[in-house]
Amino acid sequence: MTTRPDCSKCEELLQPFLDRSLTAEERATVQHHIENCSACARCYKLEEVLWKHVRNCCDQQAGLEFASSELKQKLSDLRTPLV
Amino acid sequence: MLVSDLVTEAPSDDVREVVGEARDRTRFEEEALELSDQVYRVARRIAGSREDAEDLVQETYVRAFRNWRSYEPGTNLRAWLLRILTNLNIDRGRRSQRAPDTQSLEESDYFLYGKLDDQSESDVEKLVGQLSQDSIVDALAAVPHDFRDVVVLVDLSDFSYADAARILDIPIGTVMSRLHRGRRVLKQQLASTEVVA
Repeated sequence: MTTRPDCSKCEELLQPFLDRSLTAEERATVQHHIENCSACARCYKLEEVLWKHVRNCCDQQAGLEFASSELKQKLSDLRTPLV
Repeated sequence: MLVSDLVTEAPSDDVREVVGEARDRTRFEEEALELSDQVYRVARRIAGSREDAEDLVQETYVRAFRNWRSYEPGTNLRAWLLRILTNLNIDRGRRSQRAPDTQSLEESDYFLYGKLDDQSESDVEKLVGQLSQDSIVDALAAVPHDFRDVVVLVDLSDFSYADAARILDIPIGTVMSRLHRGRRVLKQQLASTEVVA
């Protein structure tokens, strides 16, 4: 997949792309390359879509998760008595 | 004795100090307890099982209440609590899982990408959409702790690299390398689930 030097560079920039830490120049490099290379375009698309999906699924699950009332009571019991 | 009993008409400096401290501590404890759902959610991701997460949260609050004076009011209390939590998790020796070696990680990347070779960009969304919430939660649980902690904090809880570095007490460079590795391990886990495989 990464036989061409452009593709190697593109792969190298993938993680920083996900971190949104690319410089404007690097972003332009990526943009230019993926417009002309469908393999790399699919990789970027996959990563973008995958992480959005992971994030959504975890958010949905987290939304259903609360500390149980038993746990909350236990935590409350740990408080220092005002004596 | 109640705090109100301590407030006499002309309180001595000692009494004033005791009352002030009790008030600060009460406020701290209340603010910390308000964050219990959020702390529990992170614990659940980091510790895995519900039982382990509850133990970890309890230990976190025991330590937090004991060391409340070292919290600096006005700073991020959630981050402060999560730092205790992640340190406790290290202490409890839950980090014995080995990370898969880099070779197999590379393979999983190519495996996933390989699935896409004959597909158009729009099919990518379809492929990813087939991954169920359960399979993603299971895959995350299977990522070794060192890497999962960073993914949970940065990718799933919106902490910056700097915050994650402070919480986990590791350099920012380590946060980044663990994050990248953690993402790959998660992808590897997903690649081995039924739907994608």
